[in-house]
Amino acid sequence: MEKNVILYSEDIEMRFGGLYALKNVNIKIYENEILGMIGPNGSGKTTFFNVITGFYKPTGGNFYFLGEKLTGKEPYEIMVKGLSRTYQTSRVCFDLTVLDNILIGTHFVQKSRYFDALFNRKKLYKEIEYYKEKAVHLLKIFNPDLVNKLFVRVGSLPFIDRRRVEISRAMISEPKLILLDEPSAGMNADETQELMDDIGKVRSEMKNVTIFIIEHDMKVIGTVTERVYALNFGQVIAEGTYEEVSNDIDVKEAYFGKELDNENRFAA
Amino acid sequence: MKKSSFFDKFIIALVELIVYFYLMIFFRIESVWILIITILLLVVIFYLSKKYKKTFDYITNIFNKNSKFATFFIVILLILFPFVSKLIVPLYIYWLLITIQTFIFSIVALGLNFQAGTTGVMNLSSAAFYGVGAYTAGYLALHYKLPAILTIPIGGIAASIFGLLLFIPIFRTRGQYFALITLAFGYMFVLSLNNLDFVGGPQGLKNVPPINLFGYNFQKAPFGTHFYVNYYYFVLIILFITLFVFQRLYNSWIGLTLNYIRDDEPAAKGCGVSTNIWKLMTLLIGNFFMGVGGAIYAHMIGFISPPNFTLTISLLIISIVLLGGSDNIIGVLVGAFILVLVPEKLRVITEYRVMLYGLLIVLILIFRPKGLIPFKERKYHESIAKES
Repeated sequence: MEKNVILYSEDIEMRFGGLYALKNVNIKIYENEILGMIGPNGSGKTTFFNVITGFYKPTGGNFYFLGEKLTGKEPYEIMVKGLSRTYQTSRVCFDLTVLDNILIGTHFVQKSRYFDALFNRKKLYKEIEYYKEKAVHLLKIFNPDLVNKLFVRVGSLPFIDRRRVEISRAMISEPKLILLDEPSAGMNADETQELMDDIGKVRSEMKNVTIFIIEHDMKVIGTVTERVYALNFGQVIAEGTYEEVSNDIDVKEAYFGKELDNENRFAA
Repeated sequence: MKKSSFFDKFIIALVELIVYFYLMIFFRIESVWILIITILLLVVIFYLSKKYKKTFDYITNIFNKNSKFATFFIVILLILFPFVSKLIVPLYIYWLLITIQTFIFSIVALGLNFQAGTTGVMNLSSAAFYGVGAYTAGYLALHYKLPAILTIPIGGIAASIFGLLLFIPIFRTRGQYFALITLAFGYMFVLSLNNLDFVGGPQGLKNVPPINLFGYNFQKAPFGTHFYVNYYYFVLIILFITLFVFQRLYNSWIGLTLNYIRDDEPAAKGCGVSTNIWKLMTLLIGNFFMGVGGAIYAHMIGFISPPNFTLTISLLIISIVLLGGSDNIIGVLVGAFILVLVPEKLRVITEYRVMLYGLLIVLILIFRPKGLIPFKERKYHESIAKES
């Protein structure tokens, strides 16, 4: 079966001064897959996300989304193409309500602007109502309780619900590709499990979305993803299914360190 | 159901009437004591609102439910204000002028609130834009004999265009750094006014003609009152237009987008918001209303000079926004009333005036750090907030 590539990168290089955060990263993302990315701390996973969402401008290489070269574009220009993301430290606005936090995700498809806001409220309300229904639908997948909290400030929600709001915000614009940056960061095992179930639910609900997850937690990657990239020191060191990657020598080395042979041990 | 709604309306009317007549008494009594009593009363109300939270919530809830009636009743009270105050307050002309000034500052502060409160673009040169409006209107009226109906909007547009000068800093800086640049801008404005001869230098513009709307001269006193009454109604109308605009902008996608930019700019960018353009828009819209406020002021007072537009005034306007409650329209109005009226009452004790004034602000900010009326969750409209 021929699979369509929706995003691929060509020798992405990101340098901060003399430090290479990313070096020759070549990645392909196929349509409708759930892709994972693993790697130890500081291996460049989040940097890679920041590059392909436009928050960092790469110092070398290009990346293409749906066949279009998007290198050097601003985050809001890239997002409009159908590539939305979440952040490692939940970036939701605590002072705004759950509904507001989700509705901002529809920013670039909203039709009502200044004139409608001032003189054509009916059209505006219709639009808000439409997206509100959509937000409710999404929240129902995640946590039906949240539907009753539409007008509650996000700051008063538990951590996992904030994450859910954030993921809903990324999903409401019906992106082609969604990037989840360590969705389980800062959660305990139970919460992580819950969140993984949520991602599974989202998946079964929206068939034509591609999901790209960065994770620390190997278990999460193992249960959710179909294919995995492993990154270390800014370079891709392995690629394949979870079993393949987790048994890879380089990956093991990256996570657990090199096994020293006897001679070296004494030498050191 | 009908009966209870009538009862609700009665309570609203009662509360508003109490506030209204208390304000009259406040105007009437020429002594600092009234101010001290007022502060004590406010403290008591604050304390009671904590203790009897349920009753208090009940009352605020009534206001929220019958917001149309509440606004309607306030409008009637405000329309009657010049005549009622004439009966009660001996120096009513003076207080009418102060009220007009409060309204003008409300308009300007609402413009700033849109920038600093809603979008988080801390503009410390609001007085400069207020001044641009005033000087443009004054200059055009003096030298080109343009009617006020043109000069006032042109004053607003001029303030917007001056705001465009800030577009490079707004694209490149944010937060405190932008605030510093606007601060410098404010100083530059006053310095240039002092040194430019065509706007009178330190002498300012004198004899700016009064407003003349369709042949009706505002200098004429209607119904044997005072000519300020004309300005009172005019400013009231402009204030309502301003409120209308900002209320609607706030409860729409625009308010949401701007709030998002304020709270988390990178996240807003990640949601497809081209933040720079939006920030520029708030600068334009906010400045327009500041300019309009300045233009009206120039026409009403007839004399403007550089000291009217210094940093002190900028700080006053910022204080109105922060103390009343940033990003809350009602809060800004309350802030304007407090910060413009209180110093007038304090005039009697000249020396300690500034100190007491500062003390008041500090106290309010200690007990209400988010302003007297902090901003509320956006509900858009009853129909949207109702379900769920």
